[in-house]
Amino acid sequence: MNKKRSIIFSLVRGTAAILIALAVAALLIFVSSDGAGAGEKLAQTADAMRQLLIGPAFKSSGGISVKNLSDVLAAMIPIVFTGLATCVMFSANQFNLGAEGGIMLGAFVASMVAIYAPLPPVVLPIAAILAGALAVGAMMLIPAVLKAKLGVSEMVNSLMLNYVVLYFIKYLLNSHLADKSKGQIMSYPFQAHAAIPQLIDNGSKLSWGFVVALIFVVLVYLFMYRTRWGYSIRMIGINQDFAMYSGMKVAAVVILSQVLGGLLAGMGGGIEVLGRYTTFNWNTLPGYGWTGITVAILAGNNPAFVPLAAFFMAYLNKGCNLMSTYCGVPSQLIDILQAVIFVFFAAEQFLSGYRQKLVVKSTQEELKRAAQEAQEKGEVK
Amino acid sequence: MLDLILTPDFFFAILRITAPILFATLGAVVGEKAGVSNIGLEGIMMMSALFGSLTSYWTGSWFVGLLVALIVGVLEALLMGFFAFNLKTDIILTGIAVNMIGSGGTLFLVKVITNITEGKPLASTTSLITAVNQIPSWNIPLIKDIPVVGDVLSGHSILTYIAFLLVFLTWVLLYKTPLGLNIRSVGENPNAAASVGVSVLKVKYIAIGFSGLMAGFGGAFMSMYYAMGWSLDMVAGRGFIALAAQAMGGGEPLGSMLSALVFGFAQALSIKVSSKGIDSNLVTPIPYLVTILGLVVFALVLRSKVKRQHSAAALKEAEKK
Repeated sequence: MNKKRSIIFSLVRGTAAILIALAVAALLIFVSSDGAGAGEKLAQTADAMRQLLIGPAFKSSGGISVKNLSDVLAAMIPIVFTGLATCVMFSANQFNLGAEGGIMLGAFVASMVAIYAPLPPVVLPIAAILAGALAVGAMMLIPAVLKAKLGVSEMVNSLMLNYVVLYFIKYLLNSHLADKSKGQIMSYPFQAHAAIPQLIDNGSKLSWGFVVALIFVVLVYLFMYRTRWGYSIRMIGINQDFAMYSGMKVAAVVILSQVLGGLLAGMGGGIEVLGRYTTFNWNTLPGYGWTGITVAILAGNNPAFVPLAAFFMAYLNKGCNLMSTYCGVPSQLIDILQAVIFVFFAAEQFLSGYRQKLVVKSTQEELKRAAQEAQEKGEVK
Repeated sequence: MLDLILTPDFFFAILRITAPILFATLGAVVGEKAGVSNIGLEGIMMMSALFGSLTSYWTGSWFVGLLVALIVGVLEALLMGFFAFNLKTDIILTGIAVNMIGSGGTLFLVKVITNITEGKPLASTTSLITAVNQIPSWNIPLIKDIPVVGDVLSGHSILTYIAFLLVFLTWVLLYKTPLGLNIRSVGENPNAAASVGVSVLKVKYIAIGFSGLMAGFGGAFMSMYYAMGWSLDMVAGRGFIALAAQAMGGGEPLGSMLSALVFGFAQALSIKVSSKGIDSNLVTPIPYLVTILGLVVFALVLRSKVKRQHSAAALKEAEKK
C-alpha cells in the first residue's frame, strides 16, 4: 500500500472511531434527557451535542470564544506530559500505568519546594519542577528495576504505587503540612515568585507551561527518533528478543524508558500546580495519567502527534463540562467517550476489510502498470 | 498488638475482606491459564456492583440483584473479548478502557439512571441498599455453636462461602475437566491446541467470560454486602490486587487463594490499626505495599527454585557421564 493510501486509511479509521463514540454519546444523552416526548428529547440531545462539539470553540452568538479555547489549551498542559510519558513507556512495550500517581507526586513535591525552599525568583519554579520530575523518576525505578531484574509485572506494581503515592501524600498533607487556618485540607500558599507566568491573563490559567510542554514534545520526538537510546527503546518494543541478540542492553533500556516516563509525568505535575494553583489541595488522583494513556494511543505512541491528541481530548473534556453546565448531562460522559474512542483506535482489525480493499487496489494498479510497461517495452522491440 | 489480632472477629474480618479479592483472583487465574490477561476486573466489578445494587433495590430481591450483577459482568467481559480477540485490540488496553468506564462511566450511569427512576440524580446508591435487600448471611448449624471456630466461620454472607467453595471448583474445572485441559493448552501453546482441533477463540471467550462472572460476584459482594451500596471508586484497586494475588499464587487456584488471604489479612490489620486512632492514610496503603513486597518475594523464590532445578539437572547430567 502506498503512503497516500495508508494516510487515507488512518484518517478514515480515526474518523470512524470518533463518529462511533459520538453516536454512543448521542444515544446516552438521548436516553438520559428528561424531555417528555421523543421530539423534545431529540431537541435536547441536539442541544447537548452542539455544546459538546461546538461549545469549546464558539460562542452561542457565533463568534470564536477565546476564553473557552484558552481553557482547552490550558487543559492540554498536564495531559501532553502524561501523554509523552506514556508514549515513551509504551514504545518500549512497558505497560507502566504509574503516570497517574506520578503526576500527583510530581505536583506534590514541586508544591513543597515552592512553599518552603528559600530560592530567588526564576530559580524557584525551575527547581520546584525539576525536584518533582526527579522524585517521580526515582519512584519509577521501583517498577522498572523490579521488571528488569526480577521480571515482576511493571503493570501491577505501578498500579499499586499509584495508591501508595495517593495515601502517602494525603497522610503528609493531613497530619503535617496542612494550613490549619483553612476550612479545607490544603497546603500553605506557594511563595508568590514560584508561580509560572501566564500567557494570557483571562483566568484560563494558560501559563508558559504550555510552551514548555510543546518544547518537550519536540525534545521527546527527537530523542525517540533521532538518538541511539530512542531507537533502542522503540526496537525493544517491537521485538525484545531481536534487540537482545543484536547486543542492546535490554534491562538498561527497560529501566531508562520507565524512568524517563516518570521524569516527564513528574514535570507535568509540577508545571500544572505552579501554573494553575496557589496552594496544593489535591486529595484524589487527578486522572491525567489515564487521559495520558488515551492520548498516547490516539497518537500511535508517536510524540509528534501528542499535542493534536491532547487538544482533542481537552476539547472533548471542555465540551462535556459545558454540556453538564448548560444541559444537565453529567460530565462523566467523558469517561465513556474516552473509552470508546480508545478501544476503536487501538483495535488493529477495526475496518480491516476496508484496509484489505485498499491493499488489493494498490496491488492491482501496480500490476497493471507493470503489464503496461512490459507492453511498451515489447512494442519498442 | 497481638491481643488486638488474636480475636475471633479479626479472623472473621479477614475472611470477609478476602472474599471479593478472592472472586476476582479466581477470574484472573482462569484468564491467565488461557493466556488472557484481564486487567479490566476492576472496572467490571464496579459495573456489576452498580447494577447489582440498583436491581436489588428495584426488585427488592437480593437474588435478582446478584443475578443481574453476574450477567453484567459476563457481558462486559465478552465485550472485552470481542475487542481483544476479534478486533485485535491489545487486551491490556481493552482492560484499561473497561476501567475508565468503571470509574467515571459508572458515576455517569448512576446519575442518569437515578435521575430517571428516582426523580433526582444520586451520586451513590448507598441509601438504596438496606438489610432487606442485602445479600443474606448464613449461620452454619452445629458449627456456629462451637466456641471461637463458630465465631470465625459462621455468620458470613453466603457469597463468602461461595468464594471459598469456588476455589475448589475452579481447581476441578482446570484439572479434572476436558474444558480445563483445553483452557490450559490454549494458554500454554495456542498453535498446538489449534492443531489438535481445539477452537482457541471459543476457549478464550469462555475464559474471559468466566473471569467476568467472577468479577460479577466480587462486585455484587462489594455493593450488596460489604459496603451496602455503590459509591465512586468503591472497589479501590481490589481488581488490581487480584492480579497480584494470581501472580503470587503462581497462577494456581489454591496458591492464589493463600495470597488473597494475605491481602485480606493486611487490610483487616489496617482497619484494626486505624481504629486505634492512627491516621488511616498511613495504614490504608498497607495492602498495596504488601502486594509489591509479595510480588518481589515470589519472584525471588521462583528464581532460586529455577536455579536449584538447573543445578540439579546439571548434576544429573554430570553423573551420567
